[in-house]
Amino acid sequence: MITVNGITLDWYEGKTVHDVIQEMNYLFPLLIARINGKLIPRNKYDSTEIPDEATVDIIHLMSGG
Amino acid sequence: MADREMITIEIDGKSVSVEKDTTILEAAQSIDIYIPALCSSELVEPYAACRLCIVEVDDGRKTKLVTSCNYPVRRPIKVYTSSKKVLRNRKITLEMMLSRWPNVQVIKDLAKNAGIEKARYQHPAVDLNPNACILCGLCMRICEQGIWENIINFTNRGAERAVRMPYDSEQPHCVGCGACAEICPTGAITMVDDPNQPYDAEMIRKAGMRITKEMIKYDEEQCDMRGVGTAHLVEIMDAYDLLPVMNYRYGKHEETPKISSDIFRKYFTKGKPDGCWLGCTMACAKAIEDFELKTGPYKGEKVLVDGPEYETLGGSSNMGIFDPYFVAEYNFYCDTYGLDTISFSTGTSFVMECYEAGVLDKEKTGGLEIPFGAKDAALELLHQIGRGEGFGLIVGKGIRYMKKYFVENFGADPDFVFDIGMEAKGMEYSEYVTKESLAQQGGYGIALKGAQHDEAWLIFMDMVNKQIPTFEDKAEALHYFPMWRTWFSLCGLCKLPWNDVEPADNAETDEPAKVPAHVQGYCEFFEGVTGKPQTMDSLIRMSEKVYNFQRVFNLKMGFGRREHDVIPYRSAGPVTVEEYESRQERYDTQLREDVGIDPTGMSSEEKVAATRKFREAQYEHLLDAVYKRRGWTNDGVPTVAKLIELGVDFPDVIELVKKHGG
Repeated sequence: MITVNGITLDWYEGKTVHDVIQEMNYLFPLLIARINGKLIPRNKYDSTEIPDEATVDIIHLMSGG
Repeated sequence: MADREMITIEIDGKSVSVEKDTTILEAAQSIDIYIPALCSSELVEPYAACRLCIVEVDDGRKTKLVTSCNYPVRRPIKVYTSSKKVLRNRKITLEMMLSRWPNVQVIKDLAKNAGIEKARYQHPAVDLNPNACILCGLCMRICEQGIWENIINFTNRGAERAVRMPYDSEQPHCVGCGACAEICPTGAITMVDDPNQPYDAEMIRKAGMRITKEMIKYDEEQCDMRGVGTAHLVEIMDAYDLLPVMNYRYGKHEETPKISSDIFRKYFTKGKPDGCWLGCTMACAKAIEDFELKTGPYKGEKVLVDGPEYETLGGSSNMGIFDPYFVAEYNFYCDTYGLDTISFSTGTSFVMECYEAGVLDKEKTGGLEIPFGAKDAALELLHQIGRGEGFGLIVGKGIRYMKKYFVENFGADPDFVFDIGMEAKGMEYSEYVTKESLAQQGGYGIALKGAQHDEAWLIFMDMVNKQIPTFEDKAEALHYFPMWRTWFSLCGLCKLPWNDVEPADNAETDEPAKVPAHVQGYCEFFEGVTGKPQTMDSLIRMSEKVYNFQRVFNLKMGFGRREHDVIPYRSAGPVTVEEYESRQERYDTQLREDVGIDPTGMSSEEKVAATRKFREAQYEHLLDAVYKRRGWTNDGVPTVAKLIELGVDFPDVIELVKKHGG
């Protein structure tokens, strides 16, 4: 199990940041991802695997008027 | 996101793995191998005009000279950046350049590095100007590709070739963004100083150019403001259950794709950026040309529609209407009649719910059958408001007036219309569902002008990121962001360049939500104009003085106390059983986990009541925390001490707040 923005999600071997963003339907483009506090660059979302029991923060910035 | 194909190549004996189609120049730069290049920039497409970036490529079968700036890596190759053949050819090119532009520093430096002190011959069109144009084409390419304009281009041929505006005239479309001057490697293009004589024009231009560079490099993959403007938020808000549907009852709808930004992208005129003011390179205003109107006084005429923006689109879903033609038509007529699309759509959503609930009927509306989704009736109502007649005369006065009118004249249940009439301080809500973000409820309710999100948009921070879990956290956000956003209004600056494009390293900053690099840019705008250096704190302080003064003004006008920061319950939670049941799993979980009530066996009516009791109390706690953070009394009145601290303790101000316990 992992925690994403305070929500518990199932974990499987090889689950990436990109997989989590898709699972959560996070469509917003201005995201910041951290795994256990460590910043993950945007171009590494599809290659960074999340360890079991991890705390993942997908921080949404703001946009619009 | 598909896995990208990686290819390993060798440059001067060093191995590097790059994505397929990366250019050799980019690959070399990634491992700090220098290749001279005059006409290349990350801000424009490769051009291969200067020929200085030539390298020798060995593909295993043969070797050849190629220009590295536009040669894509597609198979493993060996690259030599300083082979004999490369150096000889590069030297010939540089000597020709030096013969034509002998005093241009960048040419002199490159020639010297290649072993040339002086050209052996003189070009027939020699130009001795140290800031001569070397015809690299960077300026015209950044204008076309980066700014999406075509203000300057090459004219004439051969030795007569030069960069000019069309027919050597001043181009009225030039927005003066300064990108051409910034990218010019020789100083051939310079900006003329502003006649307003700012303290430091260069400081302002540099801060502006940083935003322009970000727009060129990142906008398409970030918010696509130049492509579709704020319309990009429609599908995003729907995905997060935040797009108002049917008077804020719901946050998403299966028909949202019909009014999404992709639909409007094809209607927006020529895909061109459209800035509100000269020099803006975010240029998010959009327009639809040749739109044929189907109703109203201009029926049958083809017109230009200025928009739509997100709020106009969210207003349409709020009326339960998912038709792009309707959106364009109501957008045009609101503009033409001088009406705000937010007030019209939120007001009409309220009318539609009242109609469906039986508060209104055809007799009361003067014959209008107007449930959710009734687009013809909505347009007729809009025309009535414009003409100031019929039922439109009542609706045009706003939700606050309608609530009272419906109760007094139509026997409406006051509790019901006050719960669903989405206004605060007499101003209609803008188009976001706030039920799951307590901080945003405060953002609307406490805002000085009424229910507008432009003081604080905290929904993601609060509801999605869960970054501000405590009342104190929310109060801090409801201090900083309203003060920060007030500062834009104070200075007459647009806020969109602050957070609708993001610097590449924003994620690495301590407070990315504040976009610190952009706050610094605004500090430089201010200093560049006035000569007074600023910090993030000093800007906030500037706003705090005005914000508190405005609160006192509200107080004077009868809108500045706790009772005026009240919100309609629809803003905080589900009013009806139908709403509750549409998100039953969410609300039941919250009852169990947040309220401590087991919903098992409870009727939906009981669950609605229990949820309401909890959420209304939460809102009151929030007000307590916000007032405390802002230095106000528990009744929302700025204290005398706070006004003295801010230096706005004018005698009549002090007298007024004292009267209200401040």
